[in-house]
Amino acid sequence: MTSAPIVEIANLSKTYRGSERPALDDLSLRIDAGRFFGLLGPNGAGKSTLISILCGLFAPTRGQVHVRGKDTREVKSMLGLVPQDLALYPMLTARENLEFFGRMQGLTGARLRERVAACLAIARLEEFADRRAETFSGGLKRRLNLVIGLIHEPRLLVLDEPTVGIDPQSRHFIHESLRGLHAAGMTIIYSTHYMEEAEQLCDDIAIIDHGRILARGSVLALLRSHRHGAIEAHVEADLPAALVEALQQLPHLRASRIETRSFLLESDRPEATLAAVIDALQRHRIPLASLSLGAMNLEHLFLSLTGTQLRD
Amino acid sequence: MIALRQLLAAIGKETRLILRDWHALAILFVMPVVFVTILSLALRDVFTERAGVRFDMLIVNQDGQLVGKKLIDAFEGDKHFRVKLATPPYPDDAALAELANSGRYKFVLIIPPKATEQASRRASEQVSADGQTRGKTASVRATLLADPTLRADNRSMVLAFTNGALHAIESQLIAERIAALARTPFGSSTVSAPKLAAPQLFAEVGDPLETAGRHGAPVPTSVQQNAPAWTLLAMFFLAIPLSVTFIRERAQGSLLRLQSMPVPDWVLFGGKIVPYLIINQIQLVLILAVGVWGLPLLGGDRLTLGHAPAAIALLGLSASLAAIGFALLIATLARTPEQASTFSATTILILAALGGIMVPKLVMPPFMQHLAGFSPFSWGLDGFLDLFIRGGGVRDILPEAGQLLAFAIACFAVALMRFHFRLRHN
Repeated sequence: MTSAPIVEIANLSKTYRGSERPALDDLSLRIDAGRFFGLLGPNGAGKSTLISILCGLFAPTRGQVHVRGKDTREVKSMLGLVPQDLALYPMLTARENLEFFGRMQGLTGARLRERVAACLAIARLEEFADRRAETFSGGLKRRLNLVIGLIHEPRLLVLDEPTVGIDPQSRHFIHESLRGLHAAGMTIIYSTHYMEEAEQLCDDIAIIDHGRILARGSVLALLRSHRHGAIEAHVEADLPAALVEALQQLPHLRASRIETRSFLLESDRPEATLAAVIDALQRHRIPLASLSLGAMNLEHLFLSLTGTQLRD
Repeated sequence: MIALRQLLAAIGKETRLILRDWHALAILFVMPVVFVTILSLALRDVFTERAGVRFDMLIVNQDGQLVGKKLIDAFEGDKHFRVKLATPPYPDDAALAELANSGRYKFVLIIPPKATEQASRRASEQVSADGQTRGKTASVRATLLADPTLRADNRSMVLAFTNGALHAIESQLIAERIAALARTPFGSSTVSAPKLAAPQLFAEVGDPLETAGRHGAPVPTSVQQNAPAWTLLAMFFLAIPLSVTFIRERAQGSLLRLQSMPVPDWVLFGGKIVPYLIINQIQLVLILAVGVWGLPLLGGDRLTLGHAPAAIALLGLSASLAAIGFALLIATLARTPEQASTFSATTILILAALGGIMVPKLVMPPFMQHLAGFSPFSWGLDGFLDLFIRGGGVRDILPEAGQLLAFAIACFAVALMRFHFRLRHN
């Protein structure tokens, strides 16, 4: 199904003052209306910069961003931003926070009251509505942070790592809420570095690193295009250096990532490579704990594209 | 209309935040009141002379002869005076009074025309060969005008100095007269002794404030000096909570969220300005009320507010806008709340010290007095002294209010530019 694009980004570059390397480097992207779009990348990849420019917070160094064909600064009311930090007033109650941000979005009277009630219900914060946010747990604060971004029923919801540092229950709750909003027709851009989140939630993803898009497409299509030839094995003893060398020199390998007790190999002829792997393990008497062929998940794909080097 | 509603929402939010932070409120209201009370009471009796004072003095020498020259020599020869001689055509009495009232000169000494001739004639009459007064020449009446903000002890000192200088000239003229009589063929046996004891060639120079016709005007007291000084300091100390709130909003991301909404920047700034403007006015009223009613109850001097409430309001608003502009400027320059509070406190104390809040400008050396002119505290303090001591009105404080407003506008402009710059070029 082809939908009209809601976001069009063309040749976007951003270099911060005092930085030699661009945070975004000639990045182009199109996001269709109604999609749940995942923006994946390691820390410092450029995700937050892209979101900030998309929401009109920063000006790009070069390039253009259009939402529904207009400059982002002209269509701010169409966007709802849920920043990574808890963007709320701790000394105000949940209701006061929602009322304030609602008024700043131009809501008044009955409409404002209706939206405040709806947001409290979405976040299941009714019983905490008149308590100051500073008394909330981390999960409650995250839920409030989320629904503040929904107060004006935006057509495009942009979330920057909204589940960082919260318990699994709150994360699950947020995921369910977002699924509901998506099902109701809202376009969602979701930045994360949690791969399982992206796999569970997103229709489309873009993997971004060093300000460039490394891969782009639906989760299934991306996995399918990269899954051929992936052999992942976990073993019950440390891999000896001789075996590591033997594995690295196997024929038909495209790439390899070898840890102390596991390895991932990408091969052009996986069946032949698999036989050679089993043979090598037996020769070195290393017992096998698990073995999979061709089932590359999003995390494998992410690491194979962005590497395993620490970023911060 | 939407922007106005947004502004009201922003003001409401800021007011709630302020009211819920009672620690900050206590600092904003209680501390300055306590400060003014303690200092006014403590300094009531020791608001005394300080070493090294130099007074700017204008001498209008309309005599041009012995009396004028001697008086000028006397003042120029004393290290406490920085003498400027008026040049003809001399300003009229009203203009001279204004020069003293405005504080342009701390003292203005007017030596009347033909003072030497008049004093000599009177000397001749008072010290006669036959002991009879043969003429009715009046005493020479020199006039001393003073800046009404000067302390009474300083006025008395200069008054005594002036009369002393006149007595010295009188002694010289009398001595010359006696010598002249002694050289006459008839000798000096008939010099009139009573007249010699009190020849009164010069009328006693009166209290400068009385001379200026300011009967009933408030005498400068510690509370007259302290109340406006510490009010200004309290107003500017508002920069700390304001800038910290602003930076915290930025750090927490709520400012970022607001910037992602269709909210003009002036609404974001306006939402901060209005509540703090109101706080500043409450501070002003509270401190003035303590000065007027509270201090007399504690045995202190009563603060006199002059006769121009509209001028007090105008000056209060101008000083408040200057303080808030300064706070917003710091908020946009500093990166962390710690940076903002340290920088605010240090800068405010430096500007306050420079502006004569802690040490009166009067006792500063000339170079420092010149520098003081660059401090908004100096403008505010001069304005309040114009009202409380000189009895001025709106027109009198327009220059100071103008300076404060110009400072406020400059701060707002730079803060807005900086705010935009961060947004566009981060």
